[in-house]
Amino acid sequence: MKILVSIKRVPDTDQKIVATQDGASVAVDHIPFVINPFDAIALEEAVRISELLTEPVDVIAVGIGEDSYEQQLRTALAMGAARAIHVRCSHRLDPWNVARLLRAVVEREQPNMMLMGKQAVDDDANQTGQFLAALLDWPQATFASRLEIDGQQIRVERETDHGIETVKLPLPAVVTVDLRLNEPRYASMAGIMKARKKPLDVVTDQELGVAIEPRVEVIRYRSADTQRRCERLNSVDELLERLTNEVGIKRP
Amino acid sequence: MIKAQTADAIIIGGGVAGLSTAMQLAGRGADVVVLERERLGNGSTGRAAGLLGQLRGNAEHTRMLIDGVAIVKELEPLAGVEIFVQTGSLRIAESPERATEIAALVDMGKSIGFDIDHMPIDEVARRLPYMRSDDLVDACYCPTDGHLQPAELVSAYIKIGKDRGVKYKTHTPVTEILLESGHVRGVSALGEQYHAPVVVNAGGPWSYLNAELADAVLPTAAIGHYYLTTRPDPAQPVHRLSPAVRNRNLRIYTRPESGGLIVGMYDEEPDLHDMRKLPMDFDMSRMKAARDSIQVARLIDAAHQRFPWITERTPMTITTGIMTFTPDARPFCGKMPDIEGLFHCAGFSGHGIVQSPAIGLIMSQLILDGTSSYDVTSIEADRYFDMPGFLDRADIEAKCVSMAGNYYGKIERPEVVTGAHSSR
Repeated sequence: MKILVSIKRVPDTDQKIVATQDGASVAVDHIPFVINPFDAIALEEAVRISELLTEPVDVIAVGIGEDSYEQQLRTALAMGAARAIHVRCSHRLDPWNVARLLRAVVEREQPNMMLMGKQAVDDDANQTGQFLAALLDWPQATFASRLEIDGQQIRVERETDHGIETVKLPLPAVVTVDLRLNEPRYASMAGIMKARKKPLDVVTDQELGVAIEPRVEVIRYRSADTQRRCERLNSVDELLERLTNEVGIKRP
Repeated sequence: MIKAQTADAIIIGGGVAGLSTAMQLAGRGADVVVLERERLGNGSTGRAAGLLGQLRGNAEHTRMLIDGVAIVKELEPLAGVEIFVQTGSLRIAESPERATEIAALVDMGKSIGFDIDHMPIDEVARRLPYMRSDDLVDACYCPTDGHLQPAELVSAYIKIGKDRGVKYKTHTPVTEILLESGHVRGVSALGEQYHAPVVVNAGGPWSYLNAELADAVLPTAAIGHYYLTTRPDPAQPVHRLSPAVRNRNLRIYTRPESGGLIVGMYDEEPDLHDMRKLPMDFDMSRMKAARDSIQVARLIDAAHQRFPWITERTPMTITTGIMTFTPDARPFCGKMPDIEGLFHCAGFSGHGIVQSPAIGLIMSQLILDGTSSYDVTSIEADRYFDMPGFLDRADIEAKCVSMAGNYYGKIERPEVVTGAHSSR
């Protein structure tokens, strides 16, 4: 069995993230980069499947972007991926073009399953998995919180607003994973040592035959206003007056 | 004219060292302002495990720790919190060299009347069923040891300090130390001046940068540290009063935490931080270890050797932060000889939480009386003038990294002690 896991490199969103002065990008000077946490969960699941099944399972991590991606792909190898593919691409990417590049990788690698985070924590788009399933014409299960492999089928529990939905789909399939599927591991010493010798193949977008056609353009970034302004008011009447005059809430 | 506030003493740094000193100074009637660059107790203090092993290689340090517990027990009812958790502590030896170390420690402890004795291995196995013990050759047990809960200790210092009139300013990084013909006149922060004849540098990992503000040198270095906390597991229950364990061969320490286990490590190749490169609003509580951190991998590896059920797949959180080491792993506490009114209180080398109760008292004595009821020779701030190469930052950093890296690895030989006793 072969499982392809997509790895996005994102700024650690637990840090203080602010937009640059000109609004053109996010200021990342002091921000460490990490594997998108949902992708780390997808990778952990793939590694657990490889540890669980008796048949050999090939876990391949794929990242798309500049040279700096190598760092996160090495991390993925240390966590247990057998090899990594770096799609070197200097274009600004949107989910549609990421899905097109991933389709090209899938067509080369012919995996039985594509496991990926339900979304990336930097842009929160939640589109790539769905685009990819459509492009491949594969069945998809999104927001997986439990995954079981049963021969050539998988059973997936999905988190919905109303509860857990259990679905069954044939392989090959695209599965996007949610927070509660598992807890990703820290790499072991053996994992870190082995990772140094594992193959990390590089391929470019041109070599994959994908011409990037941007559909979505980011116009501006603006920092969220996290300043809390607290004031002690003297009466309910004063509160009502302020709400009416300053916030614009009408009295009933 | 610049607006200025005045006080008797300004404390730079709202970690346990600064907060304890402020509380003690205010208890003697001093008007104290604490200036903290981020939030109170949010630096190294907020990342500490808080293990309290009272018996140290140096008798006076042992006395400070024993007295510290007494101080904490006085603080608890005043603040209404439980700070000290008395779990007892074990040291374990899996080699003849470590057994010799333990034997020397037991002798030293007994000679000063400290409650310590060897513990048979089968008793260790009975008390700690979740720990591997079949490879041990000796162990010793101190029933009066335990840990201080850092958050509760911080809240006690703040609450009692507030009651005594201490003023706390958070998100207020000090950017200037005001000097006038060899005397400290105060500090400036966020464009405001704070005037005082006494300034205490309790900046933890930032302490060497604070010293530079007064054109002084302080040979401390910022060293990364990691510990793991397992999530409670019904298959491996850890009682909240299970003894802490120190396993120097594996460089690990451990204590119970909320039904799980904390395991921390003094790594042989610790990472060095350049505090100057961190942003002004750096928040240590947001520090995270990389998924493929070599230090974390070594920590899990060592933890697994002692606690075989801990593996990289065990549900756990990794806590990482920065501690402040000195070339001899002892803090710098006291005044600078060449700058009147400037005091240092930093470099606790991983023991800031447990040393802070007594250190606050000692600092208040040194500041108000010029002398202490303790023998402070081994922690005096100006002792580094005798250290070769203390002006060379790279040399100091190399020495601190080496000290941190050898911290648990080296075989400890207690100093010969004569009649240490508490006299507080």
